[in-house]
Amino acid sequence: MLTVADLPQCELAACLAGPGLVLRTGPFANRIRSDIPQLVDGIALLYADYPVDAPGGFADFHLSLQRAGGLRRFFRPQVCFSHEGATPFQPLPLAQAYPMFEWVMNWCVSHRAHSYLIIHAAVLERHGRAIILPAPPGSGKSTLCAALVTRGWRLLSDEMTLVRLDDGVVLPLPRPVSLKNESIAIIRAYAPDAVLSPPVENTNKGTIAHLKAPPASISRAGETAQPAFIVFPRFEAGAPLTLAPMGKARAFMGVAENAFNYQVLGMRGFTALGRLIDATAAYEFRYSKLDEAVQFFERLARDGA
Amino acid sequence: MWRVVPGQLLAFREWDGEAVLYNDLSGNTHLLDGGAVEVLLALHPAPLDAATLAARLADRFDAEGDALAAAIEDMLRDLAGLDLVESLPC
Repeated sequence: MLTVADLPQCELAACLAGPGLVLRTGPFANRIRSDIPQLVDGIALLYADYPVDAPGGFADFHLSLQRAGGLRRFFRPQVCFSHEGATPFQPLPLAQAYPMFEWVMNWCVSHRAHSYLIIHAAVLERHGRAIILPAPPGSGKSTLCAALVTRGWRLLSDEMTLVRLDDGVVLPLPRPVSLKNESIAIIRAYAPDAVLSPPVENTNKGTIAHLKAPPASISRAGETAQPAFIVFPRFEAGAPLTLAPMGKARAFMGVAENAFNYQVLGMRGFTALGRLIDATAAYEFRYSKLDEAVQFFERLARDGA
Repeated sequence: MWRVVPGQLLAFREWDGEAVLYNDLSGNTHLLDGGAVEVLLALHPAPLDAATLAARLADRFDAEGDALAAAIEDMLRDLAGLDLVESLPC
């Protein structure tokens, strides 16, 4: 199987600039076209272990990130995103090309992949148990996810939990983990060997860097996982670690509020989420020390509830 | 008299005395007390007034008579606010 790492960088750049790179991420094939050098570097660094398909192959999503034309090539250059000819977003400064790429990869899934219930949640697996971490921005979800990944957990997704509607299993979509602001230094200190993309400043989310997904997680992207726990995390400076059981009906509502397409799916979403709630135990989790949190999750995955 | 809004499927899941109900007419999902689901299910086959519902459900609640009928009347007004039930002219 051909991976991005098998392509010399000049060939990768030519592919992106020409017919497009067909990159496999979890169940999806993404045809990516771009003429932006930062994006070539970012894909070479963070997607080295991902499979690529032949350029003419089927693709679920067609993404194009190109430099803005005209005077914008020279004056405050910008990156423009288009998807199947439509341009759903305003252009961003060229320096933000890589974070924009990750955001639009997420956008494609959250807006198009309606054969899954898509929850805004990290999901990781250890000892055969998948733990779903739904949370709004600022909860410390991605920091916790990155820390667990650097301690041997299988990354299924940092951002989007895909629950298959037919049988309730979780489909992996392992992609780079998005780290914001102070989380970048925290993870660098926590895992000095971790591969991070160069931080990009002044995005609308602050400074952004991405943590490379573990090769073992990428190679197991075809293996589904059984959900065992739903844990709503909340980072709170100085707080002791606490875990409080959640009623299932309230957990249902909490997950629905964090789902991208629950409303779109209607009754199918209601049924799928009910099955997920049946299959899992739900908790509210508060933490302030990353080490403690990681040790706690290890015990949870090993011993169960 | 009250009735469940015609066409409402009353799809719900209940765990430990709390329930979620999918309102298939509005697309909204509501978190409900288990007692509210009891009232909806009792009302589903045919319109009833609060006093009749109270008599039928007395053994499910820790109340009876006028007090229960008044509590059910309040609950029905709340459920009407979610477009799950509607009042009928007497």
